Order: sequence, then structure tokens, then C-alpha cells
Amino acid sequence: MIEQAVEAFVQEATEILATLEDQILSLEHGATQQKVDEIFRALHTVKGSGAMFGYTCLSRFTHHFESAFELVRAGKLSVDSPLIDLCLAARDIMSEFLAFDGDNAGSRELLDSARVAELVEKLGRLTGEDAASGMSVGSTPKTAVEEMRLERTHYRISFVPEPHALKNGMRPDLLIKELAELGEISVRYDASNVPALSELDPTEACLGYVITLTTTASRSTIEDVFIFADDAALTLEETEVTASLVADPSSPIPPEPTTGQEETGATDARPATGSAGPVARKEVRSESIRVASSRLDDMMDSLGELVIAQARLDAVAQDIDDPTLESVVEEVSRLVVGLRDATLSIRMLPIETVFGKFKRVVRDLASDLGKEIQLITEGGETEVDKNVIDRIGEPIVHMIRNSIDHGIEAADAREAAGKKRMGTVRLSARQEGGEILIAIEDNGGGLDTDAIRGRAIERGLIPEENTLSEHDLHQLIFEPGFSTAKEVTSVSGRGVGMDAVKTTLDALGGTIDVFARQGRGTRVILRLPVTMAIIDGLRIRLGESVYVIPLSSVEECVELSDHDAARRSGRSVLEIRNEMVPFLELEHLFGQSGDGQAKRRVVIVRVDGARVGLVVDDILGQGQTVIKSLSSFHSSIPGLGGATILGDGRVALIIDVATLVRSADVPRAASVRRAA
Amino acid sequence: MSKTILSIDDSKSVRDMVQFTLEPEGYRVVGAENGQQGLEQLMAHAPNLVITDLNMPVMDGITFIQKARAVAAGAGVPIVMLTTETAPEMKQKGKAAGATGWINKPFDADKLIAVTKKLLG
Amino acid sequence: MTAATRFASEADLLREEGPLLVFRLDEEAFAITVTAVHEILDVQPTTPVPNADLFAPGVINVRGVVVPVVDIRHRLMMEQATDPSRARIIVVEVVIDETTQKLAFAADTVEDVIEADITRVEKVPDLGAVWPQSYLRGAFRLKDELIILLNTETLFHPKAASQAAA
Repeated sequence: MIEQAVEAFVQEATEILATLEDQILSLEHGATQQKVDEIFRALHTVKGSGAMFGYTCLSRFTHHFESAFELVRAGKLSVDSPLIDLCLAARDIMSEFLAFDGDNAGSRELLDSARVAELVEKLGRLTGEDAASGMSVGSTPKTAVEEMRLERTHYRISFVPEPHALKNGMRPDLLIKELAELGEISVRYDASNVPALSELDPTEACLGYVITLTTTASRSTIEDVFIFADDAALTLEETEVTASLVADPSSPIPPEPTTGQEETGATDARPATGSAGPVARKEVRSESIRVASSRLDDMMDSLGELVIAQARLDAVAQDIDDPTLESVVEEVSRLVVGLRDATLSIRMLPIETVFGKFKRVVRDLASDLGKEIQLITEGGETEVDKNVIDRIGEPIVHMIRNSIDHGIEAADAREAAGKKRMGTVRLSARQEGGEILIAIEDNGGGLDTDAIRGRAIERGLIPEENTLSEHDLHQLIFEPGFSTAKEVTSVSGRGVGMDAVKTTLDALGGTIDVFARQGRGTRVILRLPVTMAIIDGLRIRLGESVYVIPLSSVEECVELSDHDAARRSGRSVLEIRNEMVPFLELEHLFGQSGDGQAKRRVVIVRVDGARVGLVVDDILGQGQTVIKSLSSFHSSIPGLGGATILGDGRVALIIDVATLVRSADVPRAASVRRAA
Repeated sequence: MSKTILSIDDSKSVRDMVQFTLEPEGYRVVGAENGQQGLEQLMAHAPNLVITDLNMPVMDGITFIQKARAVAAGAGVPIVMLTTETAPEMKQKGKAAGATGWINKPFDADKLIAVTKKLLG
Repeated sequence: MTAATRFASEADLLREEGPLLVFRLDEEAFAITVTAVHEILDVQPTTPVPNADLFAPGVINVRGVVVPVVDIRHRLMMEQATDPSRARIIVVEVVIDETTQKLAFAADTVEDVIEADITRVEKVPDLGAVWPQSYLRGAFRLKDELIILLNTETLFHPKAASQAAA
């Protein structure tokens, strides 16, 4: 069995187990026959395939699980909370089995372990099945298909290969051998076309064959033997066994002139069928297909190349300045944008795929901590790029853990405070313009502002005399090195601090904010860009280099002349419509010299809620930008978010405005409003 | 003496697939990236079976088959073409050029083994 | 093609399977093991990466792929080339920290790419050269010339190895 087939099985089983957890959990809200059937089918598939692909330990264990569910399906066992707990535990063990690379010392050890034995025993008690008996892989219940009676049929086959057949690699002897494997045969040769010896060309086929075959195989199986000989003269007929086929071998038989097969008149022979196995139980598949991630990535790469080539086409067309050409180029551009949108949408998955996992987390955690907590999710159908789905799970889990561990109080404390005993964690997602907003909120106790202030001072993050607002103090929890001692419990604070969450968000090109009210609750909001791989970018020039700023970060562009630059308390600020906006020289941030011209342009971006200007030499234009990631040599440099290839083949670096601005140590207070 | 199979395909993963599938069955597998290399390998190794893609650079499959049949090393050796659903007429063209049989892409391991056994015994 | 094998110490490395890329810097011949040699190009303008380590000053476009350019003269504490415009840019694939990466570097000339089976690696003789020990693996003879075998893993690692003079 080659690895690819096994790999495919492992992938399938992993998906089944993931869905299985949701299915079991949903039984808590009411067990319907359909749900139970689905669960049973999933167990049955894993049990059967597991045995086929070398995961017999998994298969044997699953057998017990399946037996228990058989009783549930038959209505003989009711679904209650202890059973659900048991099922969840069993599912977890199946996952553990799957993690072993097939049958080996590890998987056998697990199968023999006390843990598994205990679980099997509990399942056994429910089903009344002896644990020992489960060790044999019981007969898989074939869904009702009667075994077809197999009948032997007699055929007469006449086969005359065309002259070139031997040169073309056909081996009549092998074909006859194949037929011989199907039943009993006898072969006679038809030598009527053999020329005189002097004219005989041994490489040319001139013999014909007449074969009688008695077999239980189906007609199509016999036809398959000759699948590559379709240009030969071939006939296949069913006959009575008493037909006189045992003729004198020396007398020539007139060759059959017809090609193709003829059927004799209907005889009493019933058509034998070869396939007597159980009918494959096809699951009702939803209208989707499974595609390897790598294929999607390849497709995205190709699309990226197309976008780049189209940019070059644009540039060239502008040079040529021919209206007919321009209109065609415009159309191509339109089509490419359409294709881009369609392709990017393939990578979009509903965030429900991530949300779904958390129900289990909340359940287990709440029970560990002895708190009563419910999880509500909203907007699960909101679609998000696959990249994001893959990476956003951990940060969200961390924040849920925080909510449950620190945010939501114990039931008694809640009651004393006049709240409902059961706390709520709410996960919601929605799309707003070019961004996805994900909110994790709880109705617990909020954040302890004083403790945060104290900690921040202690860590040297803010000076003792500071006038930060409560909101700004709250954002400090994302600073590296912040985590308060209280957070390092066994449940959370395992080194996956809030700053790690922020780093992940940064890598995804998103932002994070927290809002809290003492005694009422906490809400964390994540903002993520909708698409990742191809963005609209603003091309700017600094000296000889071209950089790209993602358009989604850009609010506006203004001009900077000596006039406007005013220096206030050591910072460079710009006045824009009565608002003072600090600005940074990209020259200084990048250590690259600009033009030295007086008239500069400023790109105003928004980072962490505040507006900042970036001074550049020139703004070149905007367009689709294919993001190519930077290697490990350059990926951690603050201010850089990737690279792209321009229409002329040069490389332009993409600016990550968030890390750029933060690395410049600009105090991130909201921009100061000029007093009226 | 184990039999030798020549696998001609410009895609490495297809050649790998053929190799990983047939070597455990006891065959020796050699590869080529296009029809031209295929001819060289044909004459160097005198394989017992050739499995060739049709769409390749430098020299395509049909041309390879024609040329193979014209040399001594290629006379009589079974040649299987890899065909696709979308171009069934290639089966005819291939047959006319001298191919022995075909197998549809994408193929699975069992199918490949079955066809090999069918043509090699 | 076998991946570059890793060695615990120089004593283990009596057998090393290629491919080996042999090139020259200032007339001295060096060799490194690579997973693959992709291209050998003429020198082309590099896009400088701001705030980058001196070892990896920029990137180039190689057939639509953005490839980092590393300066091995800098690592080996050699002076810059006398005529940089005549250099060759070699684009290779190497294994660093168990991941395969593409990168490019400049050499004066490319001598050879050999699938070598070096059965004898000697210590680098004391030539009075300044190459840091941590990037050297040893030396071997090829056609009467002594070739310095560099340690691919440390030479191309984003973090410089701690120095110890040769």
C-alpha cells in the first residue's frame, strides 16, 4: 500500500474525527435519529478504513465505540450526559491512535493501557459486550444487499489480432493467460491466414484464436481482457455447453469477418455478475470537492504571476499610446481583477470552522475551574482567508481562556454581585469594508486598571507620573513582558502571552484592541484584512528605491513643504484640517537617503487607531500588488511586510506600517486636536 | 532477472508515482523527461515495458512512439500511453503510431499495476 | 537527489555525498554542499533591504521569485571584490535549520558542480588566512589543488556564528 493512499486515509480520518466532536457535542442539545446515524457512519468508516490501511489498533478500539452506538441507533440505549462524556473521551482516544503512524509499539501500548481498558469496560457495560470479545474485528455489517448467486456461463471467443499487433507490443499469450485466470479454457488456433513459409514474416500476426471459456466472471470482465485490442477481430458469445466446439483441431475454422461482439439469442443462462460485494454506501456529499492546499497555493502563485504580467502589459501599452490597444488592455485588466476576486474567494472559508472548536474548549475549561459558562457564537458564516483561519485559532483560544480564567467570576461571586450565575463568552465575526472584525467578549469582571497601571510602572513601560486614559492603560496588556503574575496559572499564561497574540495579529496584517469596564466585562476586537495574497498597494519612491504601502492602511496623501512642517516639543507634526498629525521621515526609518528635494509627499496612515504621516519623495501610483514573502534573512525586520515584483522586473519591498511606526517609538496617544 | 520499465513523463511526481508503485512489485524502473530522452533510454536499457505521457516538451509522446517502433530496441515492446479524459482521440492517434495500450490520467496504483501485469505477465 | 547530510563533527565526515559547488573568491577555491544549484547569473542590481544585516544586504528577482542575496565575503572576513561587476551570482538551494531555502551569493568564478564522494577531508592548513573557524569544515584535494570546504549550515545561517579565528 503506497504512502499516498495511507496519507489520504489519515487526512480523511482526521476530518471525520474533527466533525465527530461537533456531532457528539450537538447531541447535548437534542439527539435525533439523523445525528445518531451520522455518528454511527463516521465510526464505521474509520473502523473499516483503519483496518485496511494498517491502523488495526485504531480499528479495534473504534469497534467498541461503534457497538455502543449501534445500540443507541437501535433505540436500545438513551443519550444522556454521562454517555456523551464517554463518547467525547472515546473520540479523543481515537485521535490519539490516529497520531501513531499506523500499528506500532506506541499504538499497541495505548491499546493495552489501563486508560483504554477502563473506557472499553465502561462502554462494554453499556452494551453488555465483553471487553475481550471486542478484540476480534467483528464482521462488518453489510448493508442489505443480497449476495448474487454466481452462475457459470460458457463463452466462445474468437480473436484475430490485426497484422501489426505484435509489433505494437501485443502479447496474445498473455491475453490467453488472463482468460485462463477467469475460469476454464481451451484454445484452438485458426491458421487460415498463415502464408507460405517463404513469405512468412514472423513479426506480423497471422494466427487467429478460438477460445472456449467457462467462467463465473461477468461479460464486462471478459471484455476488459481485450481492452487494448479493440482493432482486432473479436467476437464474444454465450453458448450452451453442449455446442460442438470440440471439433477436429486440424480443420480450419472460417474466420469471423465481423468486428465487435454479437449476442446470441437469449438462452436460459442468467447473466452472471462478477461483483458480489456489498454495495458501497455512498455518503450524500455536499456540493464541494476536496482540494489539496498546495494546489490552491500553486493556483495563487500563477494568479500572482498573471497580475504582474498584466501590470507590465499596462505599462507597455501606456508607452505605445494606441487607443485600440488601450481598450483591449483595459478589458484584460478587468478580467484579471475578476479572476483575482474569484480565485481569492476560493481560499475563503467560513470562520465557523474555527469557532466550532471552541465549544469543547469552553466546556472542558469551565468544568475544570468549576464555573458555569456558556459560549455563544455569532456570524460564523463570515468568510475569512484560509491563511487567517489557520493562524487565528490559537490567539482566540488564548483569549477565551483568559476570559474564563480571569474574566468570568465563579457562580457564587456573580450571584453576590447581582449577575446571573452563568457567565457568557461571546464570539462574533462580521465584515466591515475591507476588514473582518472578530470580537471575543465576556460579561465577567473587566480589567483591573489599577493592577495594570502598577504593573506597567513596575515594568518600566510607563513613567510614574503619567496621564494615560483608562483605555490606553488597557492596551498595555499587549506589550511584551507585561503579563501580570496572576496570569501565570496552570490554565493560561503558558508563555503564550497577550504579546504573542499581538505578534500573530501583526503577522496577519491585523490589529487588536481591548475594551473593558470594571465589573461589567471585557471585549477584545481583532481586525483583519479580508484578503492576504494580493492587495491594492500604493507605490512610493524614496531616492532610487520603490516601496509599496498597502492601500488599506492609507487614509490620504498630502504635500509637505517647509511651511507646513512645524516642530512642537521635539516631534514633527503636520496640520491637516485643524488636526495635528505627527510624521516620520521614511529616510531616517530606513537609513536610505531621499531626493533631497524640498517638496515632499506625505502618506497618512492609521496605526493602532492614531494617524501618522510617512514622508516620501514621490507617489508613483497604485495597483494590484502580489505579496511575496521575505526569507528568514529579512522577515523579522520591523517595517517590512513582504516584497513584490514591479512591472519592470525590479523588486519593491512592501511596508508593514504597523511595525514600522511602532519601531519608531512614536507615543501612540490619539492625535492631539488643536484647540478651537 | 527483474523486468525493466521505462517511465517517460515531464512531471517528476508522475515518474515518482510510477516508480513507487512498480518497484515494490519487483520491477526495475528507469525514467526520462521527454520523448528524446525516452529514445535514449530505450536504446540504453531495452526495457520490457514503456509508459509514456503524450504532452511533453522537446519530443512529444506520439512522436516518441513512432520513432520507437522504427528502431530495433522498440519493436514489439509494449508501450502504454497516459491519456486524459479530455482528449480521447489521442488513443486513436497513439494506436495508429504503434502504441499497445493506454491508461487514463489520473491513475491509481492498482490500475497501474493491473495494466503492467496485463502487458508483462 | 539526496539532501545534504549533516555531521556532528568533522571526524564523522569522511563520506559526503554532493552536489558540491566549487567557486573562487580572490583566486582561492571554496566548496559548499547544496541541495541544488538553480542558476548562475551575471551580476544584476540588488534591491537593498533597509535595516538589514550586513550579511544579507538585499534581494533580487530571479524568474519571478524574490531571492535574498548574501555577502559571504563579509562572513569570511575577506575584503570586497576588486571588480564586483565581473562577479557571477549563484542561486542555490540549501538546507538551514531543517528547511530548504533559496538564496544567492556572488563569486568571482564558478569552477564546477560535482557530485562528489569525498573520502578524505583534511584539516585546513595554517595558511595565515583570517576565515573564521566556525564556517570551515575542512579541506580536500581536487586535481592537485586544495579546496576549502565551507560549512553550509553555519555559513548561510541568518545568525552569525560565534567567532573563533582559524
